[in-house]
Amino acid sequence: MAAPKLTVSGLTKKFGELLALNDINLAIEDGEFISIVGPSGCGKTTFLRIVAGLEHSSDGEVRIDSEVVKAAGIDRGFVFQSDNLLPWRTVLANAMIGPEVSRTANAEARSRTIDLLKLVGLGGFENYFPRQLSGGMRQRVNLARALAIDPKVLLMDEPFAALDAQTREIMQTELIRIWEQGRKTVLFVTHQIDEAVFLSDRVFVFARRPGRIREIVKIDLPRPRALSLKRTPEFVGYVDRIWKMIEEDVRESVLVDKE
Amino acid sequence: MSQRSLTSLLSIVGGLLIWEAVSRFGVDNALFLAAPSQIAYAIWKLGVSGDLWRHIYISGVEFIIGYLIAAALGIAIGLLMAESERAKRILQPWISGIYATPTIALAPLFLLWLGIGIWSKVLVVITLVIFTIIINTEVGLRTTSTRLIEMLKSFGASRSQIFWKVSLPSAMPFVLAGLKLGIGRGLIGVVVAELFGSRAGLGQLISASADSFNMPNLFAAVVILASAGIAMTAGFTWLEKILVPWTND
Repeated sequence: MAAPKLTVSGLTKKFGELLALNDINLAIEDGEFISIVGPSGCGKTTFLRIVAGLEHSSDGEVRIDSEVVKAAGIDRGFVFQSDNLLPWRTVLANAMIGPEVSRTANAEARSRTIDLLKLVGLGGFENYFPRQLSGGMRQRVNLARALAIDPKVLLMDEPFAALDAQTREIMQTELIRIWEQGRKTVLFVTHQIDEAVFLSDRVFVFARRPGRIREIVKIDLPRPRALSLKRTPEFVGYVDRIWKMIEEDVRESVLVDKE
Repeated sequence: MSQRSLTSLLSIVGGLLIWEAVSRFGVDNALFLAAPSQIAYAIWKLGVSGDLWRHIYISGVEFIIGYLIAAALGIAIGLLMAESERAKRILQPWISGIYATPTIALAPLFLLWLGIGIWSKVLVVITLVIFTIIINTEVGLRTTSTRLIEMLKSFGASRSQIFWKVSLPSAMPFVLAGLKLGIGRGLIGVVVAELFGSRAGLGQLISASADSFNMPNLFAAVVILASAGIAMTAGFTWLEKILVPWTND
């Protein structure tokens, strides 16, 4: 068997005295879609940011293929919760920022990016400005921008959290459709359990205080998946099971936050 | 013409009519207030004699040289302060201090240093304009969204890439606002500096007219200055629409 695409070993993060992440170990195979769910404060976003190289760990290491990564780089594409588009750039120029930064913005990268924009459903919008787009469309650019560098691993930080419920469901099916085209390795952080189950091959359930992996749930649902899947008993069963794992943690965090 | 611009136009025309009426029938002595018609006639007369163009030319040269130097230096110093914490520590107290000082009061001193010609006025314009531009540039660069910077960092961007691709464009609206504010301050600088001593210029025209109680000529100079200020500010508003359209919403 080939080496895992992404390996995390002994990863620990401290903020002063506070242990935010304690000894995280995981291995993700090439082409796997992995979601991380957990209560607020479980460190799931911090974990993703460390993998991205946007934050440093206190201990442990992250490997892509078998190489240790420390800083941010174009082997990982990051899809942000807020779209973070540059308002003075067109859709195409926004999506091209990755190749531009890595000095690979040639004609080939450009035509590949145009194809990507088509893939995410923005064909014909290349010369629009972000202010002319809806929230869902802006998130599509956000996704295309991360894919434009052809990363080995795609890291997504609650990218649909700011969208309304209907748009979010559409974006979930869109993401599945896009992912089926290339089967990138994806690490997807969300607080929505049904979103995690719907998208993933495996769901990593995080616990809080300290942030750690509580359980790994393998999702044995057939692909390609359609929205109707969400109404099947198998799907509901998975959501229920994961909810029970984090219920206590969530209750606790709600109470703590009220203090 | 739209309803709204028609209302504005009527407001201007009505105001001028009231002014005309007050100065004709309300104020007996033309020494205290010149009517718009008298001002228009004065402008025409000054234009025909060629005096007006000489004054506008001198003031214009003083303003443009001073303003361009202030803009270039101001943006450069603003950039330096935003990029280097040490430069900021060194310069900040001076800039805050001088900005809060009515430096225009130093105009007589500049006159002594640089003489009665245009350069003393240029220096006054620079001191009045430059700080607005420095402060705006620096604030604009420093308030660049950290989320946008982080987005660029996620692709492994270098410091200079972050500066050119994110910080500088996002500071543009602030820089333009500083340049726009500088116009009014620069015009004040030209006029006041000329009042303190000059051979020609619109400020000199104002002071000479006041000495000879020629109110229409005095107002003529003021109207020319106001028009220049309004035109340049409108030019910048137009420039903002072209250069930084994303700030409109």
